[in-house]
Formats: sequence, structure tokens, C-alpha cells
Amino acid sequence: MMDMELEKANGNGTAIEGQIGLDIGTANVVVAYNENKNIKNLLQLNAFFTIPYSKVTKKTLLREETMFFDKDEKHYILGTAAERFASTFDSSTRRPVESGLLNPREVESIDVIKAIINRLVKKSDKRNKKICFSVPGDPIDNPNAIVYHESIIRMYLRDLGYSPISINEGLAVVLSELSATNFTGIGISMGGGMCNVCFSYLSVPVVKYSIQKGGDYIDSMVGRSVGESPTKIKMIKETGLDLSAEPSGRIEYGFHIYYDDLFSSLVQSLRQVLGSSDNVPRLSTPVPIVLSGGTVIPRGSREKFKKALDGVSLPFKISDIIIAENPLYATAKGALVMAITEDADI
Amino acid sequence: MSLPVFVYSPDEIRARIISETLKAEGIASAIFTSHFELDDALMVRRLPHVVIVDVKKNIHEEQKFLERLSLRLPEAVFFIQCDLSDRPVLENITIANKIVAFDPIAPEYIRDKVEAVLIARRRFSIKKYARIGKEAFRQTGRIFFKAIPIAITLFIGLAGGYLYWCVATLPDIETLKDYSPYETSKLYTQDNKLLTEFYVERRTFVPYDRIPKHAMEAFIAVEDARYYRHHGIDVIRIISAFWTNIRRGAIVQGGSTITQQLAKMLFLKPEKTITRKIKEVALSLKIERNFTKREILVLYLNHAYFGERAYGIEAASQVYFGKSASDISIAEAALLAALPKAPSKYSPFEDKERALERRNYVLRRMLKTDSINDLIYDETIRKKLPEKAHRRNFNAPYFVDYCRADLEARYGDRLYTSGLTIYSTLDYRMQQIAERAVQNGIDKLKKGKITDVQAGLIALDLKSGQIKAMVGGANYSDSQFNRVTQAQRQPGSVFKPIIYLTALKQGFSPNDTLEDSKTFFMWNKGGEVWAPENYKGIYHGTVTLTKALSLSLNSATLNLARKVGLKNIIKTAKDMGITSTIHPFYSSVLGASELSLLEMAYAYTVFANGNRLKPMCIERIIDREESTIMEPRGEKKQVINKKVLKNIRSMLRAVVLKGTGKRAQVLMRKVYGKTGTTNDYADAWFIGFDENTLVGVWVGRDGRLPIFEGATGASVALPIWIEFMRDIS
Repeated sequence: MMDMELEKANGNGTAIEGQIGLDIGTANVVVAYNENKNIKNLLQLNAFFTIPYSKVTKKTLLREETMFFDKDEKHYILGTAAERFASTFDSSTRRPVESGLLNPREVESIDVIKAIINRLVKKSDKRNKKICFSVPGDPIDNPNAIVYHESIIRMYLRDLGYSPISINEGLAVVLSELSATNFTGIGISMGGGMCNVCFSYLSVPVVKYSIQKGGDYIDSMVGRSVGESPTKIKMIKETGLDLSAEPSGRIEYGFHIYYDDLFSSLVQSLRQVLGSSDNVPRLSTPVPIVLSGGTVIPRGSREKFKKALDGVSLPFKISDIIIAENPLYATAKGALVMAITEDADI
Repeated sequence: MSLPVFVYSPDEIRARIISETLKAEGIASAIFTSHFELDDALMVRRLPHVVIVDVKKNIHEEQKFLERLSLRLPEAVFFIQCDLSDRPVLENITIANKIVAFDPIAPEYIRDKVEAVLIARRRFSIKKYARIGKEAFRQTGRIFFKAIPIAITLFIGLAGGYLYWCVATLPDIETLKDYSPYETSKLYTQDNKLLTEFYVERRTFVPYDRIPKHAMEAFIAVEDARYYRHHGIDVIRIISAFWTNIRRGAIVQGGSTITQQLAKMLFLKPEKTITRKIKEVALSLKIERNFTKREILVLYLNHAYFGERAYGIEAASQVYFGKSASDISIAEAALLAALPKAPSKYSPFEDKERALERRNYVLRRMLKTDSINDLIYDETIRKKLPEKAHRRNFNAPYFVDYCRADLEARYGDRLYTSGLTIYSTLDYRMQQIAERAVQNGIDKLKKGKITDVQAGLIALDLKSGQIKAMVGGANYSDSQFNRVTQAQRQPGSVFKPIIYLTALKQGFSPNDTLEDSKTFFMWNKGGEVWAPENYKGIYHGTVTLTKALSLSLNSATLNLARKVGLKNIIKTAKDMGITSTIHPFYSSVLGASELSLLEMAYAYTVFANGNRLKPMCIERIIDREESTIMEPRGEKKQVINKKVLKNIRSMLRAVVLKGTGKRAQVLMRKVYGKTGTTNDYADAWFIGFDENTLVGVWVGRDGRLPIFEGATGASVALPIWIEFMRDIS
């Protein structure tokens, strides 16, 4: 039942050609693939919204090619459409992924994430086609937390006919952005639910971890401080927040405070984790840090991060801090690079 | 498939770091993460030229494997990556061709070494082919016509190739720009008293402006008088040395410049080969091109070895004269300049006469090079040499060991190489008082012919949990075993307040009553019946909780334990931070389960202010760039509410006012605490506190024999506690 409706909602259901990179984040699911030697992306909001079942509503949803499925007398509206519905009902969307991992508080999180993935990548046209999906690093204070999340996604992609491999989100950022340094540097993906960090040396993920704080944390803390909903705060953040300008008004002050707080937590974790690792090699040349993810899109994030990093002692010197060329798509692009490389290795 | 390099590491990431480094230079390698895989590969693959073995933290397990491997691969060069602390074990491993590197992994160093081995192996092949070619040519019978020009061409080719190889395999001097030598880390008390130094090479880096001019002139005068006039190589000096050595018929003068010596110290092995000499010259020229004379001199002075485990001029000044390099006199500078040539030979502590002769030679050279005038020379040459090395007497050794373990866990080998300045939480004045109090306590026993008794004391700040004083035994040089942190002893009655706290948490009040009469209990799971006795066999009938605790009544306490439940008591103990196992038997109620003084003292903080505190020995750590890299905050967790806190404090106050801790009234201030004595008088305890400081004292013997018949917490441990509390106020 569920599959049939998705089929209709998905249009013709043609699979993507070639290898696929898939970034499953808290806020978005992004796909990267090659088309005529150019990398293309597809993006869906990783969210859902439920409305009571009715025949009339269902007809409308099908007519408008809305992504949804039905279960337990409810319509589950998925992806970008969910936000539209939520705003119509003056409510907030729900998330199948929370803090980077499958949301244990949402019973339907697995069905929802499967449906969104299905919408984006479709069933594989060839047996064992390579798909590389991103997984977060183990949270600093919660090791082995990703095993369940990773296994579920892997199983589902295998069901769709793919040969799935996983890549750490931070490493994906390095593979996407740091070819100039032979994939040596620190990749940080700052998404909605968490910040993923990987120090890569010649593409070897020497240190990888995550902290469970991200854009959502900023939205919720600013919202709490000024008495506005996180959804509204997120909208303000995404429509022209400029962290390089002096703050004016309570909301902007809030953004400055919680961006500083997030960056400070991040660099302190960097200092702590890199400092205590046995594997960090002695490097004679400084290495770059690349920042990606929706949280670093506002202007001035780079400078704010640089300020937080000043005075923090790491086991090696930092040459530069750069923002990914396209912060929303860097992880998926890195995953695609990995999928292509793995295929070439075979 | 033939791979020249095998990389073995149980940690795949570490193996990949090495392998990818080599790959980036076009050197193929195979990775193995188990002995089995490597053994397998050796059976089916061509043997490797280089085997890189990562034995970090596994040296003892890997030692036999390494030796077996080296027998199987006699031609291979073994590159061993290990922990600095593994060095002694490694020295005992007999492998002919080994290169050792210490953690962290230095990819460029590994790459250079592997490249050098592989290039050298290829060179041998060229030699072999040259020999075959020569033989074939001889057979043609035209040797006189062709051999000479071919030999010349071959010689020029080989010599050129050899020189090219020497230069091509030079180490990268760019690393000098981030010069970061092994530097000593120093541990201080909170009030800035040096406690100890952690080092591999005792070295403190000093910049140019803190080295006196006359010291630099002394080194230049004796080591390299034309230092400012050459570009790394002093041709005039080489010729002069050559001529002098021929005239004397022995090597009496060297031709190496300061730059050459620096190149040798930093990058090359101390072997005497033509290859090393060529590399030394090439490196010196390279260094001179990239660094100023001032930078080279500073690097040299900070890196040279001066004997007595002192590396660099600052450590040497401290060891030989007990002062900083910035304060040394001309005579002292001359002695230091005399040393690097042969530190033990010219040591004033080894051969005074020879040392004096060499120092005066330096002074003559200084006079000759106009660094000093006749007047200063005459005055300086009469100065005496130092009599003995200045070694520091380090304080609070048990505490230092405790900090060292904590710091090693955080920083590993970097503790010994990174030049950290570490401020501990120790209060130097309190530590001295603690050491004196423990010593007096032990001496008092000795006077009564009671010997071989040990004691431990810990004092901690009740607001932060910082350790303010720690004495782990009677004499550190006799026994390094720390009775505060390492000894697991039966706490006896100091454990009892935990039972009373459990009761208060369940709603009992200090004035509730209990029966103190002979009662039978199951001793353990085996079902043995046990009737614990009160001290001196006296039973008090119906008593209040306060009285039962203050007089430390065993029967009453066990009756209370039965009411509140063993499980609840164990939970209370865990909530208070006790991590040792508390066995679920009634004997534990009277303190039969062993634990450390450190644990027990920190548990008592709950009685003092309701909070469980975390042991804290480090206040702040500063790296050599003077950035604070760690400043831990004390961790506290409220365990009991205010009402319960007030009641337990009043009960522990009653111990001092009316009970077994009466002696503490001599302090004439409000203090709280509890005595503890084990059945056979093997352990005597007192743990107590005032509003600021909590102090725990334990007295006993390492062999768990009785201290003496009748030795109690009140008679043996409490006097030490009182002396400490009296003297700190």
C-alpha cells in the first residue's frame, strides 16, 4: 500500500545512473550523482507531518504529487511538503532524525526515512551499484551510538538493490573540498543536529567524532531566549543572518551568543580529542580546516569560528579556515567521491 | 606481487597513516594488522626490504614476534615505531638492522628513512651490474684499449650518482623553522614551588636575548672562531686542522663549524662514514642559506649535550652552577663551552684537572679572539670549578607520583617532551605540616619500640575537592607504595557513618533509639553465625543513634544496618563516590570491605557539605607558547539534603564532644570526625574536618600485622590529625 502511493508520488521512478553519494542529515537528505561529468544534487527536507486520513485529502495529495504514505488512519506528508503543511496548520514539522541519528522518540522514523530515500534514489537499475551514505561520528560522550542508525540505512539501501558503503560525514567533507592538500585536513560538517569532525591525513580518517549540538541547538536556544518558536528563528537564520555585522536587536544578539557557544564547544572538543589521540601524526606543514553544513552558511561564520580557534592549542598548526564551496552539498559530494573511488578500486 | 615495504600495526589507522605516506612518494606497501596475516604473506610474497612494525603499548607482547621476524628476514631493515617508555625494552631486542622512532608517528621521518634504505638497495644492484659488465669486458681481451676510459666514465658516473643520492636524501631542514625540541615539563605547587621535572632530555629552551653575550663568545672562540665569516663550512679551518694533524701525527684538531655540529646533532647519526660527512656538509650549507647566524647559534646552544643529563645551555647552567644561563659568569660560560666536545671527559665532577685545563683553554681562546681583555682573563682564570652537581631535592614525592599518573593518562609521552608548566593543587605549607605530623606520629611509635609502621595522610579543600597535602608513607626512598591512593585497607569504624547516613535518609532521627545488645548475624553466604562484640565487650542497652555512633557501638550499628538494609547501605556508599567493592555481608557494616584512604576521605566530603567531590590534583597547565591548555573545574554533586546533612554533622560532632574522638577537643574549635580501628589492631583511622579542610589519616603496617595490642584510631591516627589541624590554622 505504502509503496504504491509513493510510486505515484515519485513520478516515473527512474533510477539515477552511475554511483551515488547520499547525505542523511538531521535537517536534509541530499543526493549527489554524476550527469555528463557534472555533479548534480537533489535535496529533500528530512521532515514529516501527519494529518488525519480522508479520501478527499488523499485525492488532493495524489493530484499535487505530494510525497506521502498512509498508516494507521493518518497521512504522513514527507520532505519539503511537510513544512508547507506544518505552516498551514501553524505547527512544526517532526524529524525522523534527531541529533544526527534515527529519532528514537518517533516510532515511524524508519518508515519516514525509507520513504524519503526511496523518493530521492529510487530502486537500483543495476545489481550492486555503489551508493555511499554518510554517517555521523560517534558522539564524544556516547560511543557506539551510530551502529543501529548505520545498520538500518545500510539494510534499506541493500533492499533497494544497491551495494552500500558508509563514510564518516567529516571525512566526506574532506574528500569533497581538500583535494589540493591531498585530502589532509580537518573536515567539519555542521548540520542541524550535530557537528561532525574528522581529521584526515592523506584521506585516512585519523580522528573522527561528533558533538550533539548544531543548528537546531542555536535555533532552540535563541528561540527560548527571546520567546519565539525555533521554526521562526530558523527562518530568520536562513534568510540573511549576517554574523559579520554588529548585532542589533535581541534575536541577533541571541544568534551571536549561541554561535559563539557552539563554536567554542566545537574547538574545545577538537583540542581535547586531538590532544588525547595516540594516532595524530607529527606534521611539519600546517593543515586547513574546512567547514560545511547549513549552520555555516550565514556570513561571518568563518571569522567567528576563527576567533573561537584563536589561542586554542592543537597538536599541529592550522593553515587556513575555509567554508565549503557549497556547504549544503559538500557531504553528499564527498560521499559520491568515495563511491566512485571504491568502484575504481574494485 | 612484490612490495618493498610491509607495515604491521594492530591499529589499522596507524598502519594506514604510514602506508599512505609512502604511497604519496610512490612507494608501495602492504598493511598487516595481525601476526597471522603477516606470517601468511611472508610465505607467498617476495620478501620486503623494509618492515615497519608499530609496537606502541604492546612492546612486551610484540618482542618475541619481532625477534622471530628478524631471524626470518635477516636482510630486511626494521623500522620500529614505539612509545618513548618502551625504549629500555627495545634496547634488549637483538635486531641487526633497526631504526627506532618514538610516538607520535612522524610520517616524513619514516618516509625519508624508507627512501634511504630503498635507494641504498638499488645502489648495490648498480655495483653488481658494474662488476658483471667488467668481467664480460675482460673476456674480450681488449682491456687496455677500452678499460681506462670506461673506468673513468664509470667512476665519474658512480661518484656523481653517489653525491646526488647523498644530497637527494638529505633530511628536510624546514622542520627547523618549527623547532620544537624535547623540553622538560615542570610541576609546581599552587603557590609556585617547584615540585619536580618530567623529562627525557632535561632541557629548557632559552631565547637569544636571555643568553649572555660572553657565553656566546666563549662557544664561538673555542668551537668556531670564524663563525661569522663562513657560510657553514670553514675551508681555512679545515686546511689548518689537516696541517696541524699531519704535523702532530694524530687528530688533535677538528674542522667542524658550529653549523656542521648542529646539522650532525639534529639530523645525522654519530657514525664515521664518508656518506655522513658529505651529508653534514650539504646540510650545513642548506641551514646557512635558510637561517641567520643568530638563529643557528641559538639552536646549537639549546640543543648541545653538556653531560649530567643536561641538554641545552639552560639545563647545563642549572646543573653545574644552580643558576639560570642568563646569570652565568665568564668563567662559568667558559666551562660550559668546554663541555660539548666530550662532556664526561671534561666534566669537573669526573676529572677536575682536565676540566680546568680545558676551561682555561677556552679562556685563552676568548683572549685571543678579543672577547675578553688581559685584565678579565687574569681575574677569570683564577676562578674555581664547581664542586658538585646541583640536583634538586624534590618534594611531596607521593603526590608527584599521583600527579604523574594522572598527567600520563592525559598527555602520554608528551608530558616528558612538551615543556609544560603544570600547577598542581598542592599547598606547599600544608604539605610541610603534613609531612612533619606524619613523621612525628611515626617517631612517637618508634620511641615505644614500635617500628616498621606506615602512615598516610590526605588533606583536601572542601569547596573544590583539590588535594592540598598528601603523604603516602613514612619514607619515600624506602617505599614508593602510596598508602593514600594504592593501599586497600579495611576501614573499620570510619565506615560506620555511612550506615547512619542511610538511616537518616530513610527518615530516622539522631535521637531515635536502638538496642545495643549481643546479637547473632550470618557472617557470609556460607551461613556461619557471628555475634560481633563491642569494644571491651561492654553493651549499653537502649541508646540513641547519636550515642551509638559517637561510642562506635558495633552491636547497635549492626541492628541499625539490619533495619535500613544492606543494599541501601551499599547504594549510599556508591552515591558517596566509593568505587571499591562493598561486599553484601554484615561484616562490611563494621568496615570489613577494603578500600583506599583516598576513597574514604572523598566520601567524607558528603558528611561535611552534602556534596560528593572529585579528587583533583591539577589546577592549571600551560604549554610552552604560554597558553593555558587545561584548567579543570572541580566537580561536585549534591548527594544529601540539608536536613540530613545537619543531622549527620551533629552526630559526627558528638564523636568529638562525647565519643571516641574526644582528644580533638584540644583544638578548641568546631571539628567533626570519626575514628576507625580494625579487629586485630592492624588499621587505625581518623577522618575529620572543619569548615574548610577535610583530613584523613591512616596508620598501619604493610604486612597487615597489628600495629600493637590496643592501638586504636583515637590513640594512633588522631594525634597526627590533631597536629596537622592545629598547625594549619
